[in-house]
Amino acid sequence: MSFHRLSGVAIAVGLLIAGLHEPVLAFPVDGDQTTLPAKTELNEDALTRPREIFHSEITGRKSYLIKLGNLAFSSPSILGSVAQRAGISCETCHVNGAGNARFFVPKMSTRPGNFDTTGPLFNPKADNAVLDPVRIPSLRGARYLAPYGHDGRMASLRDFVHNVIVNEFAGPEPSPAILDAIVAYIHDIDFLPNPSVGPGGRLVGKISESERRGEVLFSKPFPHDAGMSCAGCHIPSAAFVDHRQHDVGSGGLFKTPTLRNADFNAPYFHDGRFDTYDQVVAHFDRVFELGLTAQDQKDLVAYLTAVGDGLMPYESDGAGAFLKEINDFATVLGTAIPAGDKEVVSLAVDTIGGELRELTERYPDRKDTSVSGGEQERMNARAALKEVVLLLRRIDMAVGEGRTADAAADYQSYRSFMVAAVPSLLAGADRWSLFNVAVHDRHYEALRQVMQSRHTSQ
Amino acid sequence: MNSIWAARCALLLALTAGMSTANAAPLDDAAERYRPYAIEGIGSALAGARDLRERVAAKDLAGARKAWLSARAGWERSEVFTAGFVPELDALIDAWPNADSGFHAIEAKLFGAGQTDVDGDTDALVRHLDELHSKLRDMPLTPQGLLDGTVRLAYEVGESKADGGESRISGTSLDDMRNNVSGVEFSYRTIFADSLKGVDAGLADSVTKRIEQLKIIVAAPDLPHVDVRSLRRVSEELVVSLQAASGKLGLRRPTLEAQSR
Repeated sequence: MSFHRLSGVAIAVGLLIAGLHEPVLAFPVDGDQTTLPAKTELNEDALTRPREIFHSEITGRKSYLIKLGNLAFSSPSILGSVAQRAGISCETCHVNGAGNARFFVPKMSTRPGNFDTTGPLFNPKADNAVLDPVRIPSLRGARYLAPYGHDGRMASLRDFVHNVIVNEFAGPEPSPAILDAIVAYIHDIDFLPNPSVGPGGRLVGKISESERRGEVLFSKPFPHDAGMSCAGCHIPSAAFVDHRQHDVGSGGLFKTPTLRNADFNAPYFHDGRFDTYDQVVAHFDRVFELGLTAQDQKDLVAYLTAVGDGLMPYESDGAGAFLKEINDFATVLGTAIPAGDKEVVSLAVDTIGGELRELTERYPDRKDTSVSGGEQERMNARAALKEVVLLLRRIDMAVGEGRTADAAADYQSYRSFMVAAVPSLLAGADRWSLFNVAVHDRHYEALRQVMQSRHTSQ
Repeated sequence: MNSIWAARCALLLALTAGMSTANAAPLDDAAERYRPYAIEGIGSALAGARDLRERVAAKDLAGARKAWLSARAGWERSEVFTAGFVPELDALIDAWPNADSGFHAIEAKLFGAGQTDVDGDTDALVRHLDELHSKLRDMPLTPQGLLDGTVRLAYEVGESKADGGESRISGTSLDDMRNNVSGVEFSYRTIFADSLKGVDAGLADSVTKRIEQLKIIVAAPDLPHVDVRSLRRVSEELVVSLQAASGKLGLRRPTLEAQSR
């Protein structure tokens, strides 16, 4: 068949598990006064988040540049006006540097987990008038995964990031420092460790018979072209890629995706057409006439699952995780304030303030009918978070007016509050917060019921 | 619990350091000048609610929706004092998201389900607004309480409405914001502006400038076109300026959350 002439094979693999952790469906954007279309799903109320591992933290501490990049990555203000108004940042799609399998925007996505980066919503000038969404990829291990883009069209990650900001999301031209910082941040995101993958990409440790058979099949030459095999493109190695593009019968040339941590990267293929490894393996069996038996397919899936695993892929999204990230962002101020760097201070204040406001809403106010009890504790938590938002704004105003000494003093106050008082007040209100599963479900169920009545009547 | 109490005290002590103890008495008269406006705002909401009751009784959905919007506008202008001075009535009138009574319960039926079977809810809304309207004639209106409410509302204006906002069913979240800004402006100009000009003209200018900026931002044609980054920045700058003003006016630093009673 025609595909025998193709230069190689890429197998994208995984298991759709991201959606299994939430007790209820997330609440989408809704109403007729929203920047994003009604029924958009950002999954921002998820109770778990992908765990993020930084390479630099293995041997030392994250640099200023990496922290600045992480901050900018989480900031809507580096993108264009539509994204800013919608509160969308790079982090919205690449949650903690991973993907977002639930992300869905009507008319821009054909299924959860993909998005048309050349659609009209964020930048009409980039609209190619075709609904051609691509899967939202995980950025774990990105430094091993050049070239960039689902079709591998860009050799440089820096060029790719620039294109995303300026063209896909109509953002202002980023400063070279911000671009460098974002690239440094992305380069620092590691794969989750997988003790089952040893040197040279071999399975090691306690390996099942099925996984072992799958490993053999993975390297077995294809029956109609002995020069091809799964391992020919997904070269068993640190990243299981060959840095090349191939046509695997999915509609064009696309780069070989990594198999590392792929258990958590569904949906699969460039457009996210497949939910499971079984579907992926069946596709290759059909397209390349591999003649796999049912057992062969199970063995390959077992192998891919073993290779694609990772330790502790998710973490609870409690107040502690919020504060850890916020405190990490805020350390940027320790450098930017003395330097009088207005741009970075404003970026930090806007971004951290936005996160703190979001955190505030996790502690429902007294008029929220879906929560009872803990009124004083919730009020304390909300008031404390609002105070630190304002303290940050004072810092921004002081730096803007050249009063760096005042800003430095406020920064010290901010840090001391965030170390002791704020965590304590949040802990005191935790059981009545949206971090509590029962409260979370009641709150969002109430919202859903209200909005359901709206759609029922239309 | 002790650690929470200690944390709260530490936070408040640090934030109130350097607060002025100047006499706030001249503001009492100014607060009294605000009373007619407060009565008028709730009176407007009450008139709208009564009209709503009539439209509901007549099964006039379009008319009921229009009356709800009118009542809502009066309420939103009044949020400077409702949460702080009458928290129980505030909760009954403005509970959210799936309230048993109040504006949002009625909103869900009228604008959500497209039904007018809200006679009981409307009766309750009229009753509660009427009670508030009556209370306002004699209720002590303290400058401190009004500054607290003004600051809280100024902060609230900067909250994200990207998900459609509080009034997402009726689509009035932008109108809510405009009425909130209007409420902030009126209370500031009526109660605090003259006194602040007398003690710190620069700070008074700063407050006025931010209010004017907020008015421009919420004059956007619709919610999706509001510049949310600027809105949040200016809202926070306004609150910071009003916090600074509190000391100059001899008032305590404003609280950012309304206390229950």
